[in-house]
Amino acid sequence: MNTTPALKAIHITKYFYEPERFQVLKDLSFEVRKGEFLSLTGKSGSGKSTLLYVLSTMDTDYEGELLIGGEKLTGKTQNQLAAFRNEHIGFVFQFHYLLPEFNVLDNVMLPALKLKKKSRAEIKEKAYGHLKLLGLEDQALKPANKLSGGQQQRVAIARALINDPSIIMGDEPTGNLDSRNTSIVFDIFRSLSHSQGQTIITVTHDEDFARNSDRIIDMSDGVITG
Amino acid sequence: MLSTNYKIALVHLTSKLKQTVVAVLGVTFGISMYVFMNSFMTGVNDIQTTLAFTSLAHVRIYNDGPANNTNLVEKVYPTVVSNIRNARVVQYTEGIQNSGAILSLVRKQPEVTGVTPQVNLNVFFRNSGNKVSGVLSGVEVETENKLFNISQYMIAGKWNDLKVQSNGLIIGSGLASLLSVHVDDNINVLTSDGFTKNYKIIGIFQTNVLGVDKSKAYLNINAVRQLLSRNQDFVTDLQINVQDFRETALLVQRIAPVVPYRTESWQMSNQQLEAGSRLRDIIAMAVSLTILLVAGFGIYNIMNMTINEKIKEIAILKAMGFSSKDVTTIFLAQAIVIGMIGGLIGMLLGFIVADVVNHIPFKIGGLNNLPMAYYAHDYIFAFLFGLATTLVAGYLPARKASRIDPVNIIRG
Ligand SMILES: Nc1ncnc2c1ncn2[C@@H]1O[C@H](COP(=O)(O)OP(=O)(O)OP(=O)(O)O)[C@@H](O)[C@H]1O
Ligand SMILES: [Mg+2]
Repeated sequence: MNTTPALKAIHITKYFYEPERFQVLKDLSFEVRKGEFLSLTGKSGSGKSTLLYVLSTMDTDYEGELLIGGEKLTGKTQNQLAAFRNEHIGFVFQFHYLLPEFNVLDNVMLPALKLKKKSRAEIKEKAYGHLKLLGLEDQALKPANKLSGGQQQRVAIARALINDPSIIMGDEPTGNLDSRNTSIVFDIFRSLSHSQGQTIITVTHDEDFARNSDRIIDMSDGVITG
Repeated sequence: MLSTNYKIALVHLTSKLKQTVVAVLGVTFGISMYVFMNSFMTGVNDIQTTLAFTSLAHVRIYNDGPANNTNLVEKVYPTVVSNIRNARVVQYTEGIQNSGAILSLVRKQPEVTGVTPQVNLNVFFRNSGNKVSGVLSGVEVETENKLFNISQYMIAGKWNDLKVQSNGLIIGSGLASLLSVHVDDNINVLTSDGFTKNYKIIGIFQTNVLGVDKSKAYLNINAVRQLLSRNQDFVTDLQINVQDFRETALLVQRIAPVVPYRTESWQMSNQQLEAGSRLRDIIAMAVSLTILLVAGFGIYNIMNMTINEKIKEIAILKAMGFSSKDVTTIFLAQAIVIGMIGGLIGMLLGFIVADVVNHIPFKIGGLNNLPMAYYAHDYIFAFLFGLATTLVAGYLPARKASRIDPVNIIRG
């Protein structure tokens, strides 16, 4: 077995100062194995999203250390982190932020065009493949803001997958999906983690979804309870 | 990576077409006004210069009379108080004596394009009882015309006839009407020393510089020498033109020390001309820069608005891995496109406005229309200034966009 963890969080602590000083994350330490499919659960306001932003390198205002693939990310500059995210992290936001002026296909392709590891044609083919998997191939050329909430969420998932990131993070990625699409997304995640070795970390309120994943981290008031 | 950033910039520009058009119009307006104002002011300056140089050479050498030596006692004994009344000035040499040597020295100077000797004197022009004071200018017909282009201002007779008719006189139109004379009439000239002679009017000129037209008459230089009983070398003024009328200082510096007479550039003798031309340049500059500044502020506002609207999208781009530099590029590219399109249309519109104004009738002082100059450098400067303004106006909001911290926006 590969012994380097895909992700390692060491004594992560975070405060919010507005409207008053408030400790959201309280000395969290844990590891995620490569290829693991992890669910993050807990009641609303327990700090799941906040933790995920720290893990995704977007939030740098925390104490403690974060390592991904053995690389220490704490202390890097915003631009270094942006480049790192582009190549290694796929993210599905709680609110599925797409670029409304671009069509669905462009939205999915953009992170890969930025990475520039593949030709445009290859990227396009791959983007179509993901959209098809998520049942969206006939929406590819529509503007992103003309899609339903559930459709947009699936586009965001396709976008997160485009660069074959080593870690995919999702903040309730199935929150707006019906049970059929939820199970499609679940199957995709499962196959990515088990056959491609990509690590998945998702926040979810869906108990079935969590139970069927490899591991559950349950949070309450900024601490891990299980 | 560039092409992706540019594609994003293009999508931003085209998806909010109305805003883009407004920004482009701002630049267009600024640049066209810049072009127009400068073309107009340059046109006015050029006309002014042409008018001024119909009777004014770039550099003039003349004998400015003896130094003030009325109190020689104080010069020798500065501490002695002296009181001298009715000092008499002993006869001093008039005019330029060794004009041939000075002429050949001046002709050797590289920037000199023409020299002409003149014998100028104040006289009375008389037509029976009618008496008008004025200036009689004895000129070398060909070189005079080369410097001042008088043949172009002739309204009757031919300039070159002055060469062959030694008793022929060409007078200004104002002078002609003051004396009530026409071509082929005779008038009498009386000098301050009491010499007098009759001449025949063979031509009339009109420069539209009233002071000149009302007081000046041309005679062949040899005829004037004859009138004054002077030798063939006698000259009162040497008029010199140089390649660039602005560049007279060096020539004056070079020849003034070796010529025992006064060497004076037009700037020294006509500072009000120089001042007028400079002031017009400053006005044109101030007005057009103000307009560009306003246009630049418009672009700044629109870019700022765009960025506030797109703050979420900028955050998404950064979350997906676009760097601060990418974001700056995206928004700066938009500003540059706005600046370029606005600049190109602005130059064209500026030309059209200038051309229209150029056709407005303006019949004063020998003009027919409002003057206008068409110089490529006015257009190039306008374009570059416009581009620079948009760059600054676009850069500040672009930098603001690049500093957006995505997590605060995405957290919601
Ligand atoms: N920007 C912020 N400033 C101050 N406090 C914040 C901010 N964002 C979140 N919080 C607080 O931090 C705590 C954790 O918020 P977080 O969004 O991580 O919860 P969550 O577990 O994701 O909840 P949910 O399941 O509803 O999405 C909450 O008490 C919230 O009020
Ligand atoms: Mg949340």
